[in-house]
Amino acid sequence: MPTSYPWTSAKKCRRKNNVASLEVSTHPLKMDNMRITPSLNKALMESLQNWSMPFEELDPLLRFEKMNLAEESLPLDICEDEKENYLKVWNCKKTSILNKYTTGEKLTIISSFLPGGEKISTFSALIRQVSNLNEKVKHRLEQLDDFDEASVRKTMGLSQQEFVTKVHMLDEEIKKAWDSEQRVNAFKIAIQCSKLLSDISVMQFYPSKFILISDVLDNFGSLVFDRLKNKSFGNKNIKFQYIDPNTVLEIAKETCQNWLFKMASIRELLPRLYMEIALLQCNVFISREEMKPTINRLTKMIRGMGNPLVAIYIRVYLCNTSSKLFSKESEPYYKDNLSEFINEYQQIFHPTMLKKYGAQLLTADQYLNLYVPAVDWLLFGTLNWNHDKLNLLEELLKKCNEIENSELLLCCIISAFDSSSVIQKSSAILDIIRKNADGMVMMHQALSSLGEHLCHAESYRQVSAEVLSQTWWKLASGMKSTANFLQVLEPWIQFACLQLSSQHINVILRGTIRYLIKSGHPPDNYSAQIQNVIKRILKHIPDVEELFLMDAFMPLVELVQTSAARTSMARTVLTVFFERNKSERIDDPIVIASLMRLCRIVHDSINAVSVEDESKWSGELIVRCIQVARHEDLDTQLNFYVECRAAFLKLDAVLVALVHAVNTLSTRGAASRGRWLQRACAAYCYITVPSLQCVLSRATLYLLSGQVALLNNCIGQAEANFKALVGVIPNIPQYVQEDGQKKPTHDRVAGLISNFLSTLLVLPDNVDSNSKAYILSGFIKTLERVEWRKTDALYYTTLLRVLDLLCEMTQEQYAYHIDSVISNDELYGAEEEFVKCLENYATNVCQELLVVLKALSDAKETKKQYSLSLELFWRIIKRGDLQQSSMSGLASNLWMLSQKLQDSNAKYAKSILAVLQADPAGRQLLEKLKVQ
Amino acid sequence: MTTLTISLKRPSKVYHEGEVIAGVVVVKSNSDVRHEGLVLVMEGSVNLQISSKNAGIFDAFSNSIKPITLVNTSMEIVPAGKIPVGVTEIPFEMPLRGRPSSAGPGLLETYHGVFVNVMYTIQCSMKRSFLNKPLNAVCQFFVQYKHQDPGPLKPVRCEITPASIRASGAPSRASMPNFQLYAEIDTTVCALDKPITGKIRVDDCSVQIKSIELQLVRVETCGSTEGYSRDATEIQIIQVGEGDVCRSRDVPLYMVLPRLFTCPTTTTTNFKIEFELNISVIFEDDYLVTENFPILLLRCR
Repeated sequence: MPTSYPWTSAKKCRRKNNVASLEVSTHPLKMDNMRITPSLNKALMESLQNWSMPFEELDPLLRFEKMNLAEESLPLDICEDEKENYLKVWNCKKTSILNKYTTGEKLTIISSFLPGGEKISTFSALIRQVSNLNEKVKHRLEQLDDFDEASVRKTMGLSQQEFVTKVHMLDEEIKKAWDSEQRVNAFKIAIQCSKLLSDISVMQFYPSKFILISDVLDNFGSLVFDRLKNKSFGNKNIKFQYIDPNTVLEIAKETCQNWLFKMASIRELLPRLYMEIALLQCNVFISREEMKPTINRLTKMIRGMGNPLVAIYIRVYLCNTSSKLFSKESEPYYKDNLSEFINEYQQIFHPTMLKKYGAQLLTADQYLNLYVPAVDWLLFGTLNWNHDKLNLLEELLKKCNEIENSELLLCCIISAFDSSSVIQKSSAILDIIRKNADGMVMMHQALSSLGEHLCHAESYRQVSAEVLSQTWWKLASGMKSTANFLQVLEPWIQFACLQLSSQHINVILRGTIRYLIKSGHPPDNYSAQIQNVIKRILKHIPDVEELFLMDAFMPLVELVQTSAARTSMARTVLTVFFERNKSERIDDPIVIASLMRLCRIVHDSINAVSVEDESKWSGELIVRCIQVARHEDLDTQLNFYVECRAAFLKLDAVLVALVHAVNTLSTRGAASRGRWLQRACAAYCYITVPSLQCVLSRATLYLLSGQVALLNNCIGQAEANFKALVGVIPNIPQYVQEDGQKKPTHDRVAGLISNFLSTLLVLPDNVDSNSKAYILSGFIKTLERVEWRKTDALYYTTLLRVLDLLCEMTQEQYAYHIDSVISNDELYGAEEEFVKCLENYATNVCQELLVVLKALSDAKETKKQYSLSLELFWRIIKRGDLQQSSMSGLASNLWMLSQKLQDSNAKYAKSILAVLQADPAGRQLLEKLKVQ
Repeated sequence: MTTLTISLKRPSKVYHEGEVIAGVVVVKSNSDVRHEGLVLVMEGSVNLQISSKNAGIFDAFSNSIKPITLVNTSMEIVPAGKIPVGVTEIPFEMPLRGRPSSAGPGLLETYHGVFVNVMYTIQCSMKRSFLNKPLNAVCQFFVQYKHQDPGPLKPVRCEITPASIRASGAPSRASMPNFQLYAEIDTTVCALDKPITGKIRVDDCSVQIKSIELQLVRVETCGSTEGYSRDATEIQIIQVGEGDVCRSRDVPLYMVLPRLFTCPTTTTTNFKIEFELNISVIFEDDYLVTENFPILLLRCR
């Protein structure tokens, strides 16, 4: 190991001529006020995001939500696109019904094909009666009874989930029985299933129950159908539409007849109807002409069902089945069934029904809602059939006017018809509602769906919009339930936003506040709904900023009192606001003040237990707010930032944004007025940065702030920042937590240091301090303190870079400058003492590098050792003065070392040799090396 | 192991008088079968039974009356010989022709009742050598009349009110709920292949209705000059209305007549088969109001 090699840098004024170099147009310190064009940037960011999308795993919750959204938007699309495809639409509807009609009540299932449950066969009842029977005998008799497959069991106290499983079990059981040739058993199970539909003891589950069981029956129907088809046509896959009764084999006809006879002899009406509908498709084997009259007959026979709820769902099943068979041609049946329903409408309000739902603790409103999906479905088909919708609507509205308790029908009509028809008739509809307002329990539904339709109005005549909204307001403000009021308010406020002036909206908002206060309930109970209302307003008002100028808006937002509700409200408002408002600046002080107020609410909610995502989201919102807020006066702007810093201390992201904003501000300011603003900005940064949690971002910001200060020729401030940066470097951790992952800081620190060192070249020395290259020397000293491993690539590359910088600093003229800043070359003019000092440093650094080389060889890191030795060799021959024997000696030693190691990848060495060949001085050196 | 089965050509197994019954006798065997001849016997008879209720009067007679034979033909389809191993199908054809009996000049329709049964079978027996039991196979087939021209429609209408009720020991008319029902049957002369249709309407009813039902009843009369028994039994009951049905709405009545358990209304010297229809309305308190309609069933188009 050589003891010491004093470093002497070559003076290379001619370097430019010698070395091939690229002419660059930009470098990191180029003085150029770049105008950022955000719009372009944004597009770029978006396209980047689009590209990266496939690589990003969507988190499962979000995915579910997206799926839901997709599903919700699906039905509407289909309604418009493929009206004929009833099956698809029905499937969508099915899921929504299953989700909507659920219950926590206990359910009962009666079947002979399920294990467990209490037997209710007559036989065991008999046993129970004869109570003096010997226990043993009793047990034996019961066992005997178990063998009897027809013993009907009743399972009570089932939860909804259990009930669903049981129904699926029955479905399986049917398939099993069918496959094991026990077709009569399958038939029996199917009948029992359909009988379950006569039980309305838990009404609010009825629609879902209907869906479950109708699926089972459908499956059974297709089993029978497939078998008959198989009997007649073998395995040929022939569609229902193409089956010709004349080509059906006798034997299949006979079997079909048998099924139909069996079905026709079912005693009870309900299972007979359901089974006949399920087996409807089988009629095709006997006679195709008979099928449509059959549907008509069934339509009439359903009249026999006294229970309106049960009846209407049979109608739905009938319509569904017929549309499965005849698709478009089935629409008249929808119409027939609808008119049957309307004729029997009053059955819904039959006193026994009222008593029943009362006993089940349902409200009238909940009870009526059980009918909604069925009526909707009948209306859906009817509407597709009828082309003159306006006429039909008029007709139906007339009916509504005629019959009592028309609210259910009215509600369904409003939601089923297309917007344009409803809008045309809106005043008539409102009239009906107004007339019946007293006893109406579904008024909120009617009003809100009417409102939804009105939101689609293209351009409503101003006058009637006002009249409408006035009538509506009268009705709504009279409502008793706050929840209902808010539900109605949601679409209507959107309508108001779209059609009415901001004064009107303000009046409505004021009224809303009054209503909420008068209602006596704390508004916090309805915070979600209020939020929805506010979301609607924000989304649909033509000019979002205008909203903050209304005197009723902010009070409404802040009506809720609990901090959680307030926070989520503020967050929602901000999120939607920024979704709508894409402009880069907001100048209005009132709007800014309101936004700031919301930001404060969001910020204040953050505490030690807040989830990281939550703080991140809040941070993003506040940052966005800071970015867009613009004050005319730069001083005010800075004051605003100061205020922000005071307000949002808890969020690192915001502080970072603030530092960036202030730096931007600093470059924006004119150079006049003695750089007062720039100094203040630099000071601001210097003060703000230490409060950041993350050391790495602290370092980055110090560097940036220092650079900005330097750019503005505030040398003192720049120096202070750099000094702080140097102080911070040892504290940078090896890993930082980011997006829930540990990420190494290695590369970033390397980049940061390079950036820093290249900035140091132009930083003028502090004349007051007695050491030359003050900051750099501090940095070198710090390097000694840093606990990096000597073999770490980061360590020795940093040393190499320092060496580069030291050599460059000895030059008489530096490679780059900042226009207004006098750098060291001008300051010292390559004075001897200065150069000496630098070379001293270089010697030390070089020495340290040799130590590293040794350490690398100890650690057997040949690859690293090889590359480091070459790198150092390259530095010496390019930057060192080879005339000095110590330098050339070191160079040749290093060359020897690298040749000895001879890494497989000798590209670097080869290219160095090539360069040396091209250069006359280099050739000399080469010869020298070869000699040794 | 040898098995014998009969399968008829017609899947429905329904034949009319004068037609030829065609089919095959299937012999399945895993060895050669030596036999003394395959004989086919076609038999049709009316079985009568006196209900136990009336048995007292007829103590002198046995409980069942001697069956009346309607048809009885036999023929040998294969003479004595050997049937090879495997599945052998032996086709046959037999004309269906009745012989005059006390029941009438020809065949009667197949009917399964409680006291009267009309049944037709084809029996095949394979006589075998001394040590082996003869093998037998039975197959039932159904006889139907040829379709006649439809009879004239005979619609009936009725109104059921407390006043129209023949109170049969039931609670006095005063305690009866107030009701007004209207029922209509499209025709009482019904074709067997077609459903019975009609309608019922509840115009007014002061109490709730539990169920509206349609009951098909057979009335069988057996006996002769010495005496006879007449019994009405239910064939099937079908619900047309469940729960408190909507007032002033026509609820359709619709009943498919079951096969085998119905036949054209028949009258012979020894027995009679008649049918009736009951419309019953059951009120919430299980109080029942019934209206009876005798109907005439015909085999017609």
